[in-house]
Amino acid sequence: MTFLNLIFLGGISAASIPLIIHLLHRNRFKVVKWAAMHLLEPLQRTQRRRIRLEQLLLLLVRCLIPTVLALLMARPVLTGMRSLMGAAKTSVVILLDNSYSMDVGTANRTAFIQGRDAAGRLIRALPRGSEVAVVLMGGQPTPLLDEPTFNTDRAERQLAKLQTGFGAAAVPAALEMAAGLLGKMREAHRELVVISDFQKISWADTEGADRARAAELLKKLPVPPTVTFLHISHEDQNNVSVQSLDLSRFVLGVGQKFQVRAHLKNHGDTAFPNLRVYFRVDNQERGVTQLALGPQETAQALFTHTFETPGSHVIAVEADAPDALKLDNSLLAAVPVWDRLPVLLVNGKTGRAPLEGETDFLEIALRPYSSANATLADLITTTVIEPERLHQNALKDQRVVVLANVRELYDAQLQLLEKFVRNGGGLLIFPGDRIKTAFYNTKFFNDGQGLFPARLLSLEGGLNDQDPHTSILAQRYEHPALQVFNNPRQGDLAAATVRLWYKFAEKSAAQPTASDPFVLARLGTGDPFLMEKKFGDGTVMASSVPCSAEWSNLPMRPFYLPLMQQLVTYLATKFDPPRNVDVGRPLVAVLPASLGGKTLEMTDPTGARHKLTVRSETGRALVTFSETHRPGLYLLEMPAGTNPIHFVVNTSRAESDLRQLTADQIRTAAKPFDAAVVGSWDEYQKLEQRRRYGREIWRPLLWVLLGLVVTELLLQQRIGRTR
Amino acid sequence: MSRPYDFLTPSDLQKIGNLQVLARLVVEGFCSGLHTSPHKGFSVEFREHRQYVQGDEIRRLDWKVFGKTDRLYIREYEEETNLRATLLVDVSGSMAYAGNGISKYEYAIHLAACLAYLMLRQQDSVGLVTFDTKLRQYIPPRSRPSHLRVLLDALQQTQIGGETGLARVFHQLVPKIHRRGLLIIFSDCFSNVPELLSALAHLRHAHHEIILFQIWDRDELEFPFRQWTRFDSLETETDKRLLDPASMRAVYLENLERFRKELKDGCHRHRIDLVPMVTDKPYAEALAHYLARRMSSV
Repeated sequence: MTFLNLIFLGGISAASIPLIIHLLHRNRFKVVKWAAMHLLEPLQRTQRRRIRLEQLLLLLVRCLIPTVLALLMARPVLTGMRSLMGAAKTSVVILLDNSYSMDVGTANRTAFIQGRDAAGRLIRALPRGSEVAVVLMGGQPTPLLDEPTFNTDRAERQLAKLQTGFGAAAVPAALEMAAGLLGKMREAHRELVVISDFQKISWADTEGADRARAAELLKKLPVPPTVTFLHISHEDQNNVSVQSLDLSRFVLGVGQKFQVRAHLKNHGDTAFPNLRVYFRVDNQERGVTQLALGPQETAQALFTHTFETPGSHVIAVEADAPDALKLDNSLLAAVPVWDRLPVLLVNGKTGRAPLEGETDFLEIALRPYSSANATLADLITTTVIEPERLHQNALKDQRVVVLANVRELYDAQLQLLEKFVRNGGGLLIFPGDRIKTAFYNTKFFNDGQGLFPARLLSLEGGLNDQDPHTSILAQRYEHPALQVFNNPRQGDLAAATVRLWYKFAEKSAAQPTASDPFVLARLGTGDPFLMEKKFGDGTVMASSVPCSAEWSNLPMRPFYLPLMQQLVTYLATKFDPPRNVDVGRPLVAVLPASLGGKTLEMTDPTGARHKLTVRSETGRALVTFSETHRPGLYLLEMPAGTNPIHFVVNTSRAESDLRQLTADQIRTAAKPFDAAVVGSWDEYQKLEQRRRYGREIWRPLLWVLLGLVVTELLLQQRIGRTR
Repeated sequence: MSRPYDFLTPSDLQKIGNLQVLARLVVEGFCSGLHTSPHKGFSVEFREHRQYVQGDEIRRLDWKVFGKTDRLYIREYEEETNLRATLLVDVSGSMAYAGNGISKYEYAIHLAACLAYLMLRQQDSVGLVTFDTKLRQYIPPRSRPSHLRVLLDALQQTQIGGETGLARVFHQLVPKIHRRGLLIIFSDCFSNVPELLSALAHLRHAHHEIILFQIWDRDELEFPFRQWTRFDSLETETDKRLLDPASMRAVYLENLERFRKELKDGCHRHRIDLVPMVTDKPYAEALAHYLARRMSSV
């Protein structure tokens, strides 16, 4: 308890006034000659005691009145235990919502700037020596500084640099991280401040259980923090977003026409009858369309484009809508465009009729447009030769060699192929009825040293109907070449029937290394369907099922074309990590081995440049960049003469729905945390002032005073009985 | 119908020193046109004529009417009552209390004088007893008009005395008043109530009718003191009490209530007519009460 007007405390001495009056009165009595003396006797002792008690009480009340009045005028401030920690050091964790929905508002006054300012003021207002940690909630929860700091200036500086536009807020994860940080902090007074726009989507009820768990974590801390929710509200809920882009093909080649389908959504209640949607390629406008988008409606915009140059390109679709949130009005995609991919098909069994040859289906699958005499360009060009003609000249300029039902290879041919693969070429091997198992298991496999990834054990199944047959096992494919089949639109691999197949001997290594052969996909019997082996810079892939229609109906299935294209492009382009990733996922670029050890620069969407060192791995070099909290375009600069590589980091568009929780809902969300909810920095300051320095209590004191006065009146009436 | 006297209060009448003048003023003012006796009998006061029936005394025939009308009528007269009333006036110290007006004692004296006058005018015989701890003065009842002089002189000369001892005095009185009659007591009754009641019962046992005018001062009923006060007893010099009346008031009123109730119940039990009188009330009220009582009782 402290007093603002200490001088008035002297007024307490006024408490003696009633006492003095009492004594004075006692001494200045009047004398009455009285007859009814017998009526003056209090009859019982209890009565006498009651009179005394009432007298005392009245005197007490009368003494209290000036005391309370003096207290009142001294303006006491109730601080409880906090008087000790009023200016005590504090450990504060600030959860700052930097999800892109915070970008709502006018340019200089977005919700995020307000939140950031509030956080900055909060840090500035902390007592000296306080400990601060800031966690950004957008995308993946990220601490602003590596660890909690006592240097509040530094935290403030870092904070000022922050910009919005990060991914959707991950509330429970951020809260758990805050709990972890608070556990590590040192000061006795701990606080957690959540600054957010409390969007419906990121504070959904479905995450209530997760939040409750985080709340439990917070409460179980040795020193549970006081929690405050600072609500940055914005009124404007009109918003149009480009939800997603669908590309008509997954590998693009020069001259290939492709379609981009953009999905747009209006999240607000305002209709946009003339919404212009722009299509840009490498920052050049290549198309525009106009569409009407009613309230809560979705629409699609379709654009087509043909790339003229190979390399990394960026396409963008932008809706020109005057809405609250500009950030989600455009969506980018990084598109690698390939030049021609020449592929050599070695046909081990020439057919007399069309489609009877071993590679006939494969050829069509690899260059469908050329086969159909369409004007569209194929990415892959094929050359078909017979095994005898496989020599130095034939391999020149080829990216991938496919061996289909090849009986055996001469030693010279084998050496030639080994050299080809070791230098980075791709080799795809299909079995068949012609192959000589002895050659495959000895020279070709060569106890694991050869090109072939596994020993052939036996031929399984049979061509008759009663013989057992199998299909490809449907599973979630981890391998980049097969990942597209995780999307059911690309066809169901399990739809094909396999009647005859070779069984590969799987070497179960205790500790598989990167160069060990591994299984990409299996058949329903558990036997491998596709195996891969690294060989030098190149990759070898072997299938246990032929690419022709004799042993299976693979070529008759819709997935045959994408499967073959995927396998061949994978082998041709080797491992190419995705260029479009979700927020928080690392960006990986595979570079020529010659770049190993060099330093490259990555420019992030804010324009900041990050220096990255290229790591060398067997036969290639890798660059990894993991600070992808902010969606947008990332540009990896290459050494002079080479085109830069584009990456696009995308975030969930769920945040585009700008509806916020109502005040009641926020309070409900705050309940598990026992959190106070404030609407502005000023309110927070008041709350904090009260928590920290106590509450002025003149108002209750005034009531006490009034109560005392009334009590005095009542007591007097009771004792004296009005006349 | 209001009479001029109604507007005179005891304090106004205080200015009249002579008791006889005062008594006459009060009684004449009060009685004019009011007083009729319900009693018929052999008296000087004519009441009515009645037809003669056999057995009536011949001497009561009105010969003048017979002469005029040739009919026999009997003359009827107001009966002359012969009430023996004794006024008992408490002159103990407690009666000396005077608030803002006259003292209880003076009030009692005035009232007694008025009643004496009234009764003597009605040809009743009136006696007087003054007492405090013991009997001070005893004047036996007489109905002679000149007796008024004696009574008023006696009243005027009484001195206020010491402690009240009502019960003892009343017991002493029983053998003194031989013939049954009306006892009119003027007292504040500040004494032990059960003892007082037993003494009154003793009087009632001797077939006396009793009217007890209990004289109160307004202060005693309302206890209006505020500041610290020392109450000195009027009867015992050593009895002094210093207290805060405000805090005492509730208790006082409670005691008062209990006292009055006890007395009232006791009087009711013994069929004693208890009439509380406050010293600021007109004497006429007491007279009216007396007369009402007089008419109903006989």
